[in-house]
Amino acid sequence: MTSRRAITASIAGAALFAIVASGCAASGGGSSDGKITLSITTFGTMGVDANYEKYMEENPNIVIESTNLEGGGAARDDAYAKIAANTGLSDIVAIEEGWLGTIQEVSGSFVDLRDYGIEDVSDQWLDWKYKQGTDADGRVIGAGLDIGPQGLCYRGDLFEAAGLPSERTEVAEYFGGDDASWDRFYEVGKEYVAGSGKAFYHNPSFFWNSFVNQQEEGYYKSDGETLNVEGNDALKDQLAMIVDAEKAGLGAGLPGWDVGPQAKAGEYATYMCPSWMLGIVQGYYDEGTTDSGWDFADVLPGGAANWGGAFLGVSESSEHKEEAAALALWLAAPEQQAASFELAGPFPSTTEGQSLVADSTNEFFNNAPVGEIFSARSEGVIAQAKGPEDSNIQDNVFGPIFDRIGQGEITDGDKAWDEALVLLDQLVGN
Amino acid sequence: MTSTSTTSTPSNTLENRPTTKQPAEKRPSTKGRSDLTFRQKLSHFDYKASPFLYIAPFFILFALIGVFPIVYTLNVSLYDWHLLKGQGDFVGLANYESVLSDPFFWNAFGNTVSIFLLSAIPQLFIATVIAALLDQSLRARTFWRMSILLPYIVAPVAVAVIFAQVFNQFTGPIAGLLNLFGLEPIRWAFDVLPSHIAIASMVNWRWTGYNALILLAAMQAIPRDVYESAALDGANKVRRFWAITVPMIRPTMIFVVITSTIGGLQIFTEPKLFDGRSNGGAGRQFQTIVLYLYELAFPRRDFGRAAATAWILFLIIVFAGLLNYVIARAIRTNDVKPVRIAKPKAYLARSNNGGRK
Repeated sequence: MTSRRAITASIAGAALFAIVASGCAASGGGSSDGKITLSITTFGTMGVDANYEKYMEENPNIVIESTNLEGGGAARDDAYAKIAANTGLSDIVAIEEGWLGTIQEVSGSFVDLRDYGIEDVSDQWLDWKYKQGTDADGRVIGAGLDIGPQGLCYRGDLFEAAGLPSERTEVAEYFGGDDASWDRFYEVGKEYVAGSGKAFYHNPSFFWNSFVNQQEEGYYKSDGETLNVEGNDALKDQLAMIVDAEKAGLGAGLPGWDVGPQAKAGEYATYMCPSWMLGIVQGYYDEGTTDSGWDFADVLPGGAANWGGAFLGVSESSEHKEEAAALALWLAAPEQQAASFELAGPFPSTTEGQSLVADSTNEFFNNAPVGEIFSARSEGVIAQAKGPEDSNIQDNVFGPIFDRIGQGEITDGDKAWDEALVLLDQLVGN
Repeated sequence: MTSTSTTSTPSNTLENRPTTKQPAEKRPSTKGRSDLTFRQKLSHFDYKASPFLYIAPFFILFALIGVFPIVYTLNVSLYDWHLLKGQGDFVGLANYESVLSDPFFWNAFGNTVSIFLLSAIPQLFIATVIAALLDQSLRARTFWRMSILLPYIVAPVAVAVIFAQVFNQFTGPIAGLLNLFGLEPIRWAFDVLPSHIAIASMVNWRWTGYNALILLAAMQAIPRDVYESAALDGANKVRRFWAITVPMIRPTMIFVVITSTIGGLQIFTEPKLFDGRSNGGAGRQFQTIVLYLYELAFPRRDFGRAAATAWILFLIIVFAGLLNYVIARAIRTNDVKPVRIAKPKAYLARSNNGGRK
């Protein structure tokens, strides 16, 4: 070989070696210079981010990397994909009650928090919340974050303009107080439409979800496995009531989410508000708005019920289970739950957390005593048994039906029910 | 028994050839394989095999990353495979049957074809016109040619998010314009045809520039004197375009049609982000086949059927490609026939016949 060829060959060889070596370098992903990075995935406005700074201050060797997904649906699909691929789940994952049922089927993907001391603090949670996070084999895979007691958000200013009472205790009375019923709700709605010429609510699906959660058995029977939709007269009658309400002009025909501009324009006056929805309505407005006109009343047609609630799970694929479990349990502790509530509204699922926020008021909602109201609204409430397809049924079976109702495509209650059954059969039945 | 043969052997047979290499190297082409040296065999092997070795890395990589997943998907589609719970029982072609008998699949197929036609046909037409315009001697030619490629560079997700805002039936600028003129609002995300038009416009916006550049390259290969002679014969610009340009870029047009078909049958990003919370609209108004596949795989967690859908789509695309090819061949025979050069032997025979021996 000539020396020129030798030089070229050695340069090529060195370059190749460098490429291969850099490609094979193990990506750290966990620890470098003593610090441990924990990744956490949340969704919507859970308010958990209020606590990250504090934890990092108290534990300087931990760095928290958080990802917040837009909504529960996105978080659900994301979690499914990563569980299926067996890789990519962050150390801590927020799980929503709606799809907890599906996660329970593969609960092996999450660690048993009993190995990390959750039993020592198990009594800080509401009984049913702790039980919800436990799978069929008794492994506790989810540390409860929040629960979803519901009240009614309304526009005090628009109510007043339409001739309805606007002060929150009066509003609660007007809807029937403790005996508030759906019939009365739709009656008041018709009054509002007559008095203001505008729609009462933006999309009926939330009232539907609320109603379903009020039943003793929702889409599934108590065993969490048998479907409970076909032949369910309570659901069928409520659907017919909603269709009638739409025909009377109560609905604004808007999609379920992302309706901020319409809120500001006053196109609807009520919003079904479980505690976590407060953050969403607030999010429609600029930070620090106090004169939006929104208020919050201690009333729910049909009686108290729980809608939603999240858990924090630690994935089995985590490289730092010990630290991740410690962080998860800390984030689910009463003080931190109270801080999340202050930031975004999700109501604590720990009794101590609830008493910590008992006096809290929400500036955005006209200084409503939200802590007190939610405590009242969660009395005696027990979460419904959820099955594996619960989230699917809510979003993909009834969701499209309500969009069609809202756009005026379906005007008959029976037809709506039949269509829902057809969709249910196609999506879940097989 | 008998001693070795007494037949005298010549001195240069295989067994007792002198060991010097010289004679062998001088006439390599007339020797058989077995009497080449190792180095010669190596160089012979190098000559024959190195082209294959040079292209082998691509094929190995493709086999790992391309072919293996395709075959594995076929494997998945033959089982009752749950996304989270893993492989179930062997069900053979049951997944395919259930997909092909699912009205949602056919709805998705119809949507895909509709969106594809709404995007491919205007795109081809506009791209050809733009290419023809760019083919002329303009000022700042390179600037114009670069800028029509700009939409292609923008990430599809960004395009989808922005166009979703533009087409928002309540708060979008189009809705505002309609309102200004007192027209009925168009329900872009709810009605079938408007949603297809919205998605097709996203696809067109992105791909027209790209296709225009490809067609421009083809147009530049057309010899200029053809145009000149046509102009001398009195053809105006439009006539020259239709009579010369379009027929002569036909092969490239076919290529553009094929790539648009393959891309158009696989549209996913735009309809997925047009309505972020659903998979193709609340009533599946704009659910394409790939979106249907996604819905089967993740929200409904039926991996087996999703894999079956993937293979059905694969076969549809192969079929579309074959269809394109057949049509292309049929068109080609109507073109100017390539000049045939007669085989040398026949030519020689003819010329020899002229002067007989």
